[in-house]
Amino acid sequence: MQICVENLGYRAGKNMILQGINLELAPGAVNVILGPNGAGKSTLLRLLGLLDKPGLGEIYYDGQKRSTMSRCQCTALRRRCGFVFQAPLLLAGSVEANLRFGPRLRGLNVGDHKIRLVLEKTGLHGREGQEARLLSGGEKQRLQLARVMLLDPDLYLLDEPTANLDPLSVKNIETAIARLAGEGKTVILATHNLIQARLLAAEIVFLKEGLLLQAGAAAEVLSRPLSLDIAEFSAAENIIPGTLVRREGRTVLDCGQLAIEVVSERSGGRAAAVIRPEDILVSEKPISSSARNSFRGPIMAVADLGAIMALSVDCGGVLFTVFVTRISCAQMNLAPGIAVSLTFKATSVHLLPLC
Amino acid sequence: MSYIFEGLKQGAALLLPPSSEILQIVALSLAVSGAATLLAALAAVPVSLFLALKEFRGKRLLVGLVNTAMSVPAVLIGLLVYGLVSRRGPLGILGLLFTPGAMVLAQALLAFPLITALALAALKGIARDARDLALSLGANRRQLAAVVIRQGRFAFLTAIIAGFSRVIGETGMTLMIGGNIKGQTRVLTTAISLETMKGNFELGIALGIVLLLTALAVNVAMQGLQGK
Repeated sequence: MQICVENLGYRAGKNMILQGINLELAPGAVNVILGPNGAGKSTLLRLLGLLDKPGLGEIYYDGQKRSTMSRCQCTALRRRCGFVFQAPLLLAGSVEANLRFGPRLRGLNVGDHKIRLVLEKTGLHGREGQEARLLSGGEKQRLQLARVMLLDPDLYLLDEPTANLDPLSVKNIETAIARLAGEGKTVILATHNLIQARLLAAEIVFLKEGLLLQAGAAAEVLSRPLSLDIAEFSAAENIIPGTLVRREGRTVLDCGQLAIEVVSERSGGRAAAVIRPEDILVSEKPISSSARNSFRGPIMAVADLGAIMALSVDCGGVLFTVFVTRISCAQMNLAPGIAVSLTFKATSVHLLPLC
Repeated sequence: MSYIFEGLKQGAALLLPPSSEILQIVALSLAVSGAATLLAALAAVPVSLFLALKEFRGKRLLVGLVNTAMSVPAVLIGLLVYGLVSRRGPLGILGLLFTPGAMVLAQALLAFPLITALALAALKGIARDARDLALSLGANRRQLAAVVIRQGRFAFLTAIIAGFSRVIGETGMTLMIGGNIKGQTRVLTTAISLETMKGNFELGIALGIVLLLTALAVNVAMQGLQGK
């Protein structure tokens, strides 16, 4: 489903929960609405799912305006959406009764094999007769997802479907979500879980305090955040504040003892450099290359992340985080106290203006 | 103290077996208060549903009014209904004063705000979730109402039980509107009040026991319904 949002706003009492949201969601892909608690993610999802009426602005569904839709049209559109609530909303009764409730509202009769299929897809097979309200938290979430999948909607709206769940349940639900996008469904997933966003998102919409700070392809938003809020939230490892100055025809970010060469038309003013760890080359000796930035310093700590190791390197008072593979780490005998050289290009430095 | 125990004893004896007059009084009490509660509930259920589900300007004021109406003294409602149905009143032509019909009207007016306010308070936590669930699964307006009523049935039942208990125990207003006419508008509470004042303390106690048992039986029956 093609969804376009124009200058959307929502007010609860005197508080603006959402303001001036302009957005185009990617059809047939996972769109992640990312942001800290209280950003307005749930509200945006509820507006998109026609559960609440926008106070301001317009939402277009396949070109159809929200504000001019009749009650019947709203109901018809809701029947193309599937909503999974953050706190599971289930009816008293068995798992199967909960599943059959949606089709019944639509006057449909679904076959047993379909019920079995969605239960299998969500890892709940064999639970048909169980009392839904006695399921565990993770199972309730999966039942919500199964209930929605049974209705085969075009649009999935998922509000933090993995909050407060154990890792295995999270994995189950994430797998199911990834599969939905693979089947060409449009998924809108609200989460404050960055790892989940990285894992699932094709597109990221970043909200904070009711405002849209950035929207775009996931890789773009995560590697080139438009604001410090996003960089910090997305746990960008290297965020280095400094002052932009012109030196010998080049722009550098002066960070005290360290000067990082950057590509920028601007000079003067405060800025923060964001450098992704994977863009930094680690070597035992300084290497000569076209890369404009090369610093040396001792390793302060080595963290084991599994296949890769994260090193913290202190270069002139700035602590860099860099990634090396486990094998390189062993071959180079990298350990705390050993001095290494860090090299990265000026173009790898993403600059954010600071006030 | 002994006269109280004596009264209790004689009162209980009067009920074994109860006279046809007592039976008639019980039947009228149940009929009037039952009809009044039913009428009030028929109005209160949609109103509390509407108030629980809809957001609109002035909603808080309206909810405040309903809550205030809950504490309007019964005798004032009696006064209002008296004014309406007395011969000179706008409904005077119907000749309702001192009939069971007028008693039903007055008791329904008494129960309505109580049932509405109690149902609304109990629905608060339920209505929004039920609405979200129903709407998100594609319910239309009628189905939405059905789902919310079904999910909120305990809330409604509790409120209706409270409403019934309130009106079956009401005396002053019922006396004012019904007139306590023997064989026509005499109900349990007005009979107790009259017999006690006449000095028939045992009869008052006998009727009191019946009132208590009636209220208890209705409550147990309704709660049994709730348990299902």
